[in-house]
Amino acid sequence: MTTSNSYRVFRYTITAICGLVMAFPLFYMVSRSFMTSPEVEAIPPRLLPSGLDWENYQTASEFLTPQVMVNSLVVAAGIVLLQLVLALPAAFALSKIPFRWTGMVMGILVAPMFIPASFTLIPTFVVAFKLGMLNSYTGLIIPIGSTISVGVLLFRQFFVTLPSGLVEAARIDGAGWFRVFWSVTLPLAMPVIATFSVVTFITAWNLYLWPQVIATDPALTVINVALAPIAGGSSYLYTSPAVGLAGATMGMFPALILFIVAQKWLVRGVAAGTGLE
Amino acid sequence: MVVKTNPDARPDGQERARTSSVLRSRLRRRDEATAWLFLAPGLIAFTIFMVVPALGAIVLSFFDWRLFDDPSFVGLKHIAKLFGDANMWKSLGVTVLFVLAGVIPTTLIGFLLAVVASSSLRGTAALRVLFFSPMVASSAITSVLWTNLYRVRGGFINQMLAQFGIEGPNWLTDPGIARPALIVVLIWSALPVVIILYIAAIQKVPEDIYAAAALDGAGKWRQLWSMTWPNVMSTTVVILVLMFITFLGSPLEFALLMTRGGPLGETTTLGLYAFKVAFEQRDMGYASALALWQLVLIGTAFLAGRGIMALGRKLR
Repeated sequence: MTTSNSYRVFRYTITAICGLVMAFPLFYMVSRSFMTSPEVEAIPPRLLPSGLDWENYQTASEFLTPQVMVNSLVVAAGIVLLQLVLALPAAFALSKIPFRWTGMVMGILVAPMFIPASFTLIPTFVVAFKLGMLNSYTGLIIPIGSTISVGVLLFRQFFVTLPSGLVEAARIDGAGWFRVFWSVTLPLAMPVIATFSVVTFITAWNLYLWPQVIATDPALTVINVALAPIAGGSSYLYTSPAVGLAGATMGMFPALILFIVAQKWLVRGVAAGTGLE
Repeated sequence: MVVKTNPDARPDGQERARTSSVLRSRLRRRDEATAWLFLAPGLIAFTIFMVVPALGAIVLSFFDWRLFDDPSFVGLKHIAKLFGDANMWKSLGVTVLFVLAGVIPTTLIGFLLAVVASSSLRGTAALRVLFFSPMVASSAITSVLWTNLYRVRGGFINQMLAQFGIEGPNWLTDPGIARPALIVVLIWSALPVVIILYIAAIQKVPEDIYAAAALDGAGKWRQLWSMTWPNVMSTTVVILVLMFITFLGSPLEFALLMTRGGPLGETTTLGLYAFKVAFEQRDMGYASALALWQLVLIGTAFLAGRGIMALGRKLR
């Protein structure tokens, strides 16, 4: 099919405009985080700061302390690890080991995907509270790390595509199921594990509601909980609103880096997590 | 070679078959035991944090409990209160509104943006990342950012309006405006997933049907709705379900962060109302009843949705 030049230009322009509109709020956030108060208030609005003013970041680091960053990192990494440890063997059992109950177990595991997490928030909080998990890393990590629906679905889809001859050959050689799982299928699953880990890390890094209710102790504050007071329009605790944007930019930085590095994986992970791929 | 019919051969073969079937069933049983072993950690964790909470919510609905005292049995008090609670009905209305105003527009806008972003022209692939960018921002970061865009003074939107001599409203606190303002944020943050799923689907539509359509003289716009759209139908169904779940859930977080449910409860969804009952009034019994009520509603909605879809298939 031949495409005329003018159509090509039109198409390119449309794509660029739509993309820029979508990304504009994020551009605005980063750009304004470097502005001084007068620059923020200027009319007509400025799109770029006159220089890189790091003062907002200095003020923001008063509430986004290194401790907060470390907490977020530990919690996100913990959630990724736990989900891997729980979901991988389960997915293996549901795809490679002869097992009568596969359909039923899958049904039970996948059902929660149809329930918004906020609906189960209160009952889950009650259980975690009863288990003494209030204000602890375990409370921040374990309940979220236990939501393995997406992981099991994703890994099972991958394991099913592995030729069964591979598993049978190892079995005939006398390898036990754990051996097969550990040294035959896991190495092959590395790309899927990477995809899943990136997606889950970003999701976990971005968690807000659960940390907000389970960890009220300031020593356990994660980034999103630290940012929450600034998000409400009425409570401007700091002289310049750009401070909030500086904090938000800081909080987004690790996720942004991962996003740029692993964009392709991320896209694949999203598609696979819904069972569409 | 002489084939001898050995009278002992048959029983012997049967014998062997029997032992092998015994062996096989024993092996299968061992396989099943191993499978359960592999599943155990995941299933136990899943049971504690998914199944037990659901059952616990049922039990707690019959109790008065304020977290730090002992639960006391109150029977049907909370259930009875539920249906006479004006706040519950109001927040249910808000929930329905968010779903209605969010699901279809997000799906349609997402589809159109995916069409734009999936262009195979050189250089457009690099622009695709812009379309996905909102997904890196957490709900809290998104809220900080949009609250800033919406600010009365020093917010970008009102600064732009001021250019044209218009005094912009207080987007997040004026009744009647806060809701649409919040929906825009919800849509923006839900779009990347929709765009990603549609791009994947559009790329699977065979190129040659467009060529055929072009030969028949169908314009680009016409091709879009009579070729692309029907070909991604199965993805649309998945996206509609996904967006339904998203718009049921996400308003809680964003409203909690940006408007605290205000002004005048206009952005308080059922989820946020239950959240406030649980974590501000510490009324865990009634909050459990509300949580349970949400599960009943979502179950009903899904059954209804499946029914409608089955009916649609039959009519087609």
